[in-house]
Amino acid sequence: MYKAVGFFCILAGCAGWGSSLAGREKERVRHLRTLFYMLGQMKSEIAYGKHTLPEICLLLAELNDTCYSECFCRIYKRTAGEDGIEFPKVWEEELGSCLEPLPLREDERRTVTELAKNLSFREERGQAGRIGQAEAFLEGRYRKAEETCANRSKMIRSVSILTGLLLAILLL
Amino acid sequence: MREEAVLSLFPEESRGRWREAAKQAEQLQEIRIRSGMPLTVLIDSREFFVNTQGKIVDRPEEAAKPEPEELENMLRHLCRYSIYAFADEIRQGFLTVQGGHRIGLAGQVILDGEGRIKNMKYIRYLNIRIAHQVRGAADALMPYLFEEGRVMSTLLVSPPGGGKTTMLRDLIRQVSEGTRYGPGVNVSVVDERSEIAGSYLGVAQNDVGIRTDVLDSCPKVEGMMLLIRSMAPKVLAVDELGSLADVQALQMAGGCGCKLLATIHGGSLEEIRQKDYMRYVMEQGLFERYVMLDRRLGASGIAGIYDKEGKPCIKR
Repeated sequence: MYKAVGFFCILAGCAGWGSSLAGREKERVRHLRTLFYMLGQMKSEIAYGKHTLPEICLLLAELNDTCYSECFCRIYKRTAGEDGIEFPKVWEEELGSCLEPLPLREDERRTVTELAKNLSFREERGQAGRIGQAEAFLEGRYRKAEETCANRSKMIRSVSILTGLLLAILLL
Repeated sequence: MREEAVLSLFPEESRGRWREAAKQAEQLQEIRIRSGMPLTVLIDSREFFVNTQGKIVDRPEEAAKPEPEELENMLRHLCRYSIYAFADEIRQGFLTVQGGHRIGLAGQVILDGEGRIKNMKYIRYLNIRIAHQVRGAADALMPYLFEEGRVMSTLLVSPPGGGKTTMLRDLIRQVSEGTRYGPGVNVSVVDERSEIAGSYLGVAQNDVGIRTDVLDSCPKVEGMMLLIRSMAPKVLAVDELGSLADVQALQMAGGCGCKLLATIHGGSLEEIRQKDYMRYVMEQGLFERYVMLDRRLGASGIAGIYDKEGKPCIKR
């Protein structure tokens, strides 16, 4: 009886672990999509609206979900207020701490956090073009991740269940 | 004006130097920053200098001399790290920041293929003109600008820095809200340089009255016709007439039944009459009142008020 319960516990544990890994992969796809959409919004606000970067952060705060919304709201408050803190510094700090816990790869994170350092163009096409490069990079990653996500999820789940079975057999 | 509002014009790292000057925010008129030259401030129409500790001194030899990088940082900060967003203004040699303060710029101009100014680089000279809203600045003018309860078309004339925009802003506010000389009416403002209303994110930062609509950052010619079509104003206000096209648009607006409030650079009525584009409208009587301003004459700064024929209503 105990052996059967143990068997199912190990199996369930491994399946859960696999499920969590697959979930993280799905989360990564979702965040990549949000990030590249946001960069697209930024690009069009620069090219057509000629908004300043802090103003764009305020717009992004209104348009996006909680985690990003709070982050962009803080960037706007710190840079558009009377503090006088450098925009690239605040952007890096705030987005760095916002993206830290998210299931993104290091280069994807860096593409976003270091973006503001390279945004000192004197005309909007250059500025929008630079954001377009980051957007294209993230879009590429998103498309690739989306394509492989379903297969990877299936694979992760299968491997986790097999690992569970193997572990249960070995232990019991 | 608050000390913090002046300090907010400067990046975090250089604020210490400006704290003393910012304490005199109410009297502070101008800050001039030139690369490698003494930092200069104009307080109550008197020139002073700012030393490296931020103390205000009388002698230029004691003043701090900023490096070119400081000016670059300052420009980035003033443009909120979005120089592209101010490219049109930089091309015209100035930018207006939150609060309506105007920053004059000079450096090396970049021309396009047709010899027009495309942009400016190596910006090494900044002239920060601190905007002050003086409520009641136009009080002394009001009795002369109304006829049977209706405001008359008025042109404010003074040399640069003579207080035209301050006067126009208060005039707009009073005409919009109504005074004992006439009821409040709808006023539309074409605020080409964002100096009158000092709009930020589309909201006027200065009090321009409860019946005032502001078209921000729009060229005067297009803006006037747009507002006449869309907002049906009784009074149309613009700052700094400077070309034949501006005056022609004003004439059209006047022909639509709008009363006009405008400003122009000039030292005297004779001087503005000599401008080609002004002679005709003055002869036609487009403006019913001309107000000469001179800051040296004290609080109101009114040097004279003239009717449409150029006869003085009052003269100091």
